[in-house]
Amino acid sequence: MDAFQGLLTGFQVALSLEGIMFVLIGVVVGTLIGMMPGLGPISAIAIMIPITYGMDPAPALVMMAGVYYGAVFGGSTSSILLNAPGISGTVATAFDGYPMAQQGKAGKALAIAAISSFVGGTVSVVMLMLLAPALSSVAISFGPPAYFALMFMGLTAISSLSEGSTIKAMIAAVAGFMVVTIGIDPQTGTQRFTFGNVNLFDGFDFLIIALGLFAVAEVCMLILNRKNRSLSDDQKLGSLKLSKADLKEMSGPVSRQSFVGFLLGVLPGAGATIASFISYIFEKRIAKNPEEFGKGSIKGLAAPESSNNAATSGAFVPLLSLGIPGSGTTAVMLGAFLVLGVQPGPLLMTDRPEIFWGIIASMYLGNVFLLILNLPLIPYLAKILSIPRPLLISLVIMFSLIGVYSISFNVFDLYMLLVFGALGFAMRIFSFPAPPFILAFILGGMMEQAFRQSMTISNGSLSIFVDSPLPLSLLLVALISLLVPAFLKWRSNRLAYKQR
Amino acid sequence: MKKTIFAGVLSVSALAFAGCGSEDAANTAGEDGNFEPSKTIEMVAPAGSGGGWDTTAREVARVFGETEIIDENMTVINREGGGGAIGWAYVHGKEGDAHSMFVASPPLMFVPLNGQSEHGHEDFTPLANMIADYGAFAVREDSEFEDLNDLFDQMKDDPESITVIGTSAPGSMDHMQFVRIAKAAGVDPTKIKYVSDQEGGALTAVLNGSVDVFSTGVGETIEQVRAGNIKVLGVTAEERMEGEVLSEFPTAIEQGIDESFVNWRGFFGPPGMDQAAVDYYEAKFQELSESEEFAEVREKYGWNEMYMGSEEYSEFLETEKEEIASLLEEIGLGQ
Repeated sequence: MDAFQGLLTGFQVALSLEGIMFVLIGVVVGTLIGMMPGLGPISAIAIMIPITYGMDPAPALVMMAGVYYGAVFGGSTSSILLNAPGISGTVATAFDGYPMAQQGKAGKALAIAAISSFVGGTVSVVMLMLLAPALSSVAISFGPPAYFALMFMGLTAISSLSEGSTIKAMIAAVAGFMVVTIGIDPQTGTQRFTFGNVNLFDGFDFLIIALGLFAVAEVCMLILNRKNRSLSDDQKLGSLKLSKADLKEMSGPVSRQSFVGFLLGVLPGAGATIASFISYIFEKRIAKNPEEFGKGSIKGLAAPESSNNAATSGAFVPLLSLGIPGSGTTAVMLGAFLVLGVQPGPLLMTDRPEIFWGIIASMYLGNVFLLILNLPLIPYLAKILSIPRPLLISLVIMFSLIGVYSISFNVFDLYMLLVFGALGFAMRIFSFPAPPFILAFILGGMMEQAFRQSMTISNGSLSIFVDSPLPLSLLLVALISLLVPAFLKWRSNRLAYKQR
Repeated sequence: MKKTIFAGVLSVSALAFAGCGSEDAANTAGEDGNFEPSKTIEMVAPAGSGGGWDTTAREVARVFGETEIIDENMTVINREGGGGAIGWAYVHGKEGDAHSMFVASPPLMFVPLNGQSEHGHEDFTPLANMIADYGAFAVREDSEFEDLNDLFDQMKDDPESITVIGTSAPGSMDHMQFVRIAKAAGVDPTKIKYVSDQEGGALTAVLNGSVDVFSTGVGETIEQVRAGNIKVLGVTAEERMEGEVLSEFPTAIEQGIDESFVNWRGFFGPPGMDQAAVDYYEAKFQELSESEEFAEVREKYGWNEMYMGSEEYSEFLETEKEEIASLLEEIGLGQ
C-alpha cells in the first residue's frame, strides 16, 4: 500500500504543470545530446547543476533524469544512420541498425529502435517501482569475484560476435585487451605502455575507439567504394510502417532483453553499454537464424535498444535505494542530488517520498514523451541520408572530431581518433571484425581489475571464484555456453560422417 | 567510460583563452605596486565536471562573483586527465600569468610522488588554502570490530586477514591515509592489503563482505551510517567534527593513536606569479573564507573551514610532503 500511495504522490509531482514542463525539457535536451556523437548525458547533467541551483529539487532532478534516459533514447539515431554511436550505450545498436539503414530501411530501423527503447524503458520503470527496495540487495551482492565471472561470461561470446573466421575474431579481441591495458594500472599505480606520455595515463576513452573503429572506418570505406553508387545515393527512408511480422519478430527480444537490461543496469559498474552488448549476444545465441545478425536483423537491433534503455532505469536502483552511483552518469547525478540538498540512499524513500516517487513517476511520462517526440521526427532525421555523399562524409568526420575533442579538450585524442580510424579501416579491408575488439575493450578492463582485486583479497588463491555460489554459477553458465555449441558441431560432423 | 566527460559551453571560453593566454603573461601590477585583475580570471579544475575539484572551483567562482569580492569575471575550465597531471602541466605553461589559477588537494603531492606527474606543489605559487576534509575508516554494521584498536590489533596478529578498499590508486589518498594511521597504531605498513576500485564498487564490496574496511572521505559515509549499513571506526580529523552524524565519529587521536590526516583543498597560481598578485588573491580568499555566503557553501557540502595564507600554506605543504614521501618509501611505493 505504501508503494501505491508513494506512487500517487509521485504522479502528483510529475503531472503538475511544472513537472510536465521539466520532464519535457529533460527528454528533449537528452535526445539532442544523445544524437551528437561525443556529447553524452554526463556532460549535460554536469552543466545543468549550476543552472538548477536554488530550484525546487523534485523538478530539477526529474529534468536531469530525463536528460539521462533521453540521451540513451536519442543515441541510437546516429548509430543507425551514420554508424557513429551517439553515446557508448548505443554502439551495439549500430551492428544491425546501420546495415538496415544501408538497405534502404532507415525509417523502419529508427521506428524499431524507438519502440524497443520505449518498451525497454517502460518495463524497467515498472520494475524499478515494484522492486527497487528488494533489488538493492542484488545490487550489492556482486563482489569482485562475481564481477570477474560476469565479465568472463560476456567474453565467451566473442566467437558469436564474429562473421567468418573465429581466429580473426580472437585476434581482434586480443588487440582490444591489449589496448585497454594502456594507462596507469589502478591496482599498483604503475604505468603500462604509456611511454611516459601524460596523455596516455588514463588510457583511451571508449568513445574514441568506438568512433574511430566505426564512424571513421566507415567513412574510409565509403570513400574507397565511391564508384559503388548503390550505397548512399539510392538510400531512401523506406516505409516507417512495421508489419505484423516485424512486430512479432521484435516481441521476443524486446520482452526478454528489457528484463536482462534492467538487471544488468542494477549492478554498479555494468551499465547500459555492457547491457546492450550482452543482450545482443544473448539474442544471437538463441536465435534460429544467427547468421542474419550483423546484416540488418530486426532482432539484433531490438535487443540492444530495449536493453540499454532498461539498464538506464536499472541504474537508478543503487542510486536511489543505496546512494551508490553505479556509473559515471549516476555519479554526477549523485552530485546533483547533494547540491540540491537531497541525500539519495536507503532513507530517501521515507525522508523525501516526493522525490523518490516523483522521479519514478516522471519516467513513465518521459518515456511516453520520447516516443511521441521521436516517431514523427523520424522522416526528418532520416533525411540526413539524402545529403550528398561528399557532404555527409565531411559531416560525420566533423562530428566525430568535435565529439572526441569535447571529451577532454585534448588535441592528442584527435590523433588517436585517426589512429583508431586507420586501424578500423585496415581491419575492414583484411576482414577482422570490429565488435570483438570493442567487447574486449569494454569487458577486459573491468575483468582484469576484478580478477586482481579478488587475488589480493584471497591472498592469491583461485578458489575464491568457486567458493561462493554466485561466481561459481556464472562461470558454469560461461562454460556451458562455450561447450554446447562445440559439442553440437562435433555431433553434427559425426552424423554427417556416419551418413557418408 | 570511467572518464567523466566534458565542459560544454566552456569549450568556447577555453578556445578564447588559448588565444589570449600569452598576450600579457607578465603581471599587470599597477604603478603603486598593487595588483588588480584586468581581465577574466581563469580557474582550472584539473578534472572532469562533477567531482570535488570541479565543485570547489565552481562554488568559489560563483561566490566570488555574487559577493563581488572580486569584480572581474571568473570562468572555470576543466582540464581532465592523468589524475590531474594534464591540468597541472597546462597551468605550469602559463608562467607568471596573474589571471590563472587552479584548485588542488593532496593528489598534487601523491601523484608526483608516485612518479605520475612532472609537476608537484613546489612548482606552483600557493595562494591560499580554503577548506579541510577528513578521511573515515568504515566497516559493515555487523562487523566484529568496534573501534580502530580492535581492527589494528587483528591486523598486527594476522595482516593477511584484512583487506582495505578505496577509490584511489595505491600510494594515493585513500590508501595512504589508512597507512598513516595504521602505522601510528603499530601495524606493519608493508603488510597492509589494499585494493583500489575506481568504478564505484568500493562501498558495494564492503557491504557484501568481499572486503573488510572502506577507507574514504567522511562525507561518503554519513548516509550509510544513518541507514545502519556501516559503522565508522575512526576518522582522521584532529578533533571531533561538528554536525548531526559527524559528531558521533571518534577520531583516531581519541583512541590513543596519535596521528591525523587532512584532505586540504586550496588554490595555486602558475609558477612565478608576481608577489603583488599573490597578496591580492590571498586577501580576497581570506575575505571569501570569512564571508557568510561561503559558510553556507561549506555547510551544504560538509566541508570544514581551513584558511591558510600563501606562506603558511607553503610551510604546511612542505611538512606534509616530507612525511608522505618517507611513508611511501617505507611501503615500497613512490619514486
